[in-house]
Amino acid sequence: MSYALNIQQANAVLDEIRKDYTVFAPKRFPKQGRYSDTDIIRYAEISRFEDIVWDTKSDYPAKEVLTPIQQAIFYFTEDEYRESKGPKKPYLVLARPCDIAAQHVQQKIYAGNGGYTDVYYERVRKLVRFAMMECNGGDDTCFCVSMGTNRTDDYSLALKFSSEGVKVQVTDDDFTGYFKECPKAKYTPSFVEENELKVTVPDLDNAEVRKALKTHPMWNEYNSRCISCGACTVACSTCTCFTTRDVIYGDNPEVGERRRVTSSCQIEGFDQMAGQKEMRSTAAARMRFKVLHKFHDYKARFGDSHMCVGCGRCMHRCPEFISIAATVNKMSRAVEEIKAGMAEG
Amino acid sequence: MNRDINVKQMRINCFRQSKVPGEFMLQMRVPGGVVDAKYLDNVRYIAQTWGDGNFHIGTRQTFDITGIKYDDIPAVNAYLEEYIREIDQELCEVDMDQVAHQPQPWDPKSGYPTIGARNISACIGNYHCICANINTFALASELEKIIFPSHYHIKINIAGCPNDCNKAHLCDFGIIGVGKMVYHPERCIGCGACVRACIKGSTRVLELNEENGKIIKDECCCVGCGECVRACPASAWTRSEEPLYRVILGGRTGRQTPRTGKMFLNWASKDVIIGVLKNWQEFSAWVMDYKPEYLHGGHLIDRAGYKKFKEIVLKGVELNPECLVAEDIFWHETEYRSNFNVKPMEMHHTAGPRNGTD
Repeated sequence: MSYALNIQQANAVLDEIRKDYTVFAPKRFPKQGRYSDTDIIRYAEISRFEDIVWDTKSDYPAKEVLTPIQQAIFYFTEDEYRESKGPKKPYLVLARPCDIAAQHVQQKIYAGNGGYTDVYYERVRKLVRFAMMECNGGDDTCFCVSMGTNRTDDYSLALKFSSEGVKVQVTDDDFTGYFKECPKAKYTPSFVEENELKVTVPDLDNAEVRKALKTHPMWNEYNSRCISCGACTVACSTCTCFTTRDVIYGDNPEVGERRRVTSSCQIEGFDQMAGQKEMRSTAAARMRFKVLHKFHDYKARFGDSHMCVGCGRCMHRCPEFISIAATVNKMSRAVEEIKAGMAEG
Repeated sequence: MNRDINVKQMRINCFRQSKVPGEFMLQMRVPGGVVDAKYLDNVRYIAQTWGDGNFHIGTRQTFDITGIKYDDIPAVNAYLEEYIREIDQELCEVDMDQVAHQPQPWDPKSGYPTIGARNISACIGNYHCICANINTFALASELEKIIFPSHYHIKINIAGCPNDCNKAHLCDFGIIGVGKMVYHPERCIGCGACVRACIKGSTRVLELNEENGKIIKDECCCVGCGECVRACPASAWTRSEEPLYRVILGGRTGRQTPRTGKMFLNWASKDVIIGVLKNWQEFSAWVMDYKPEYLHGGHLIDRAGYKKFKEIVLKGVELNPECLVAEDIFWHETEYRSNFNVKPMEMHHTAGPRNGTD
């Protein structure tokens, strides 16, 4: 069933839904951007329809709702501990198809990897329903079509926003009741079919090719360009890496909490082991690791899709204008070169 | 040259005497150093019609047009009307029919009425720059109507951030865009990028607390540059919604006693800056017994003393809660003659009304 709501009607429905769900959506944080007089759009709980930023892609991904940058996982006192309490109310998360696809990736990492399920992820994930925001085409950093994440059917509601209000398709019976009073309209969501930016992911099945790619000079430019800040991975829709940290309350070391905090493979020291050994000690090596993880390793392990969903946020947030799309395309050219060299013997 | 030219009058009219007798250089105001590029047509027209064809980008960001003949000045002034109206009257909302806040009708064909309050110069600010905390051009436009036209001298330089590319430290009243940066610990990943940025490019006020992976800040020595905001990969540092300002007072170049300015106000709101500048005329007038001289603001502070300056310019100004005011200022001048200030009593400067009343 589909409906067309003006802003007032949308707010009335939102008020009703909010009685049963915590509603998260991209929200504008004025003047909180990296540069002065620029804004940040990131996920937050919303209470008004007007808070929803639908015409611009958010700077930070929807993953922050499910896996916040910082989260207490348990609290301890002497020899006792208590797990942190997860949310009670279900979540309704407004997200574009790329962000929904990203949760399928995150789910594999957190709850389908080596037979272990992360309870902190799972307890939230099972409470999440998606309201798919029909994508208006994104921006010049989007390449969802190349990654096959432009379409999704994982949603309870589909939403098409305009300055007048929103068209809604309800696909989940749990939500039908909220729209009883709303005017019906014809609406089926459409999906982005082409991006300006296109990415060709190389075939890396051959271990010899991968070995040659590892030492290919294409990576060297990132030693001077990448500042290893990790902004790309914080903004990434799919990155899951975190570290844990014990925080002691005051001066009593027996009372405190264990937190999980987002971490980044791009930051120096990420892979430092006992004895100070680092596996990837240069920006180029870290970049190579990230790119291969997103465009080969994940798929090699889980089979169905690449890890990258093509949301483009890493490029959007990179202060040094490093484009992952350009990097992958460079990698494709390097692979062709390697394969041609191998054919010549 | 058999001419009778009042060069002082020409100077007030913003025409500077040339070493070539009878020639002058026009200085066109460009508040904040930004104008629509279309005005380059006006500059070109003046330079090619009445000047020698060249123009100089003035050290205070004026358009300086050289080689204008004395006889052509009335024609140049008449032509300038459009530029003055569009830039000063319309864009900056300057009341041209007053001088130093006193009514004095402006003849639109007569060019600039005063030279005292100099063109407000500014770095490009956040109109473009990734470091800036403020829109310097917008601030310059807003301040222009407070200080101009006036025969009392003031040089204002606006810098978008404490890097001070525009040398707020070397003018009477330097304004630097700053901010009290807001820390959001729940977004902090403890990577230390802000700490490194602060060490490398600022005052080393940040430290990573190894106990909890969060940042400790020495608020006292923070200059409010925002490098932490720029460096943070997770938006755990953000600027406050309204920027704040630092005022560097009494800097100058010059033959006698060049010196860098010193901090007068820190973390001042824009309203405070505006309030203080509204009192600038009164302070200048008081020092010079209400008779403008060709003397810059910093020298007036020398005559009156900083405490008298502070008393007059802060009159009626409501300070924002964060605002700090220098209790005293100790400038350090370069003395090109040692013991420069030691001289007979009659050579000492005087300040304030000369009729014995205050």
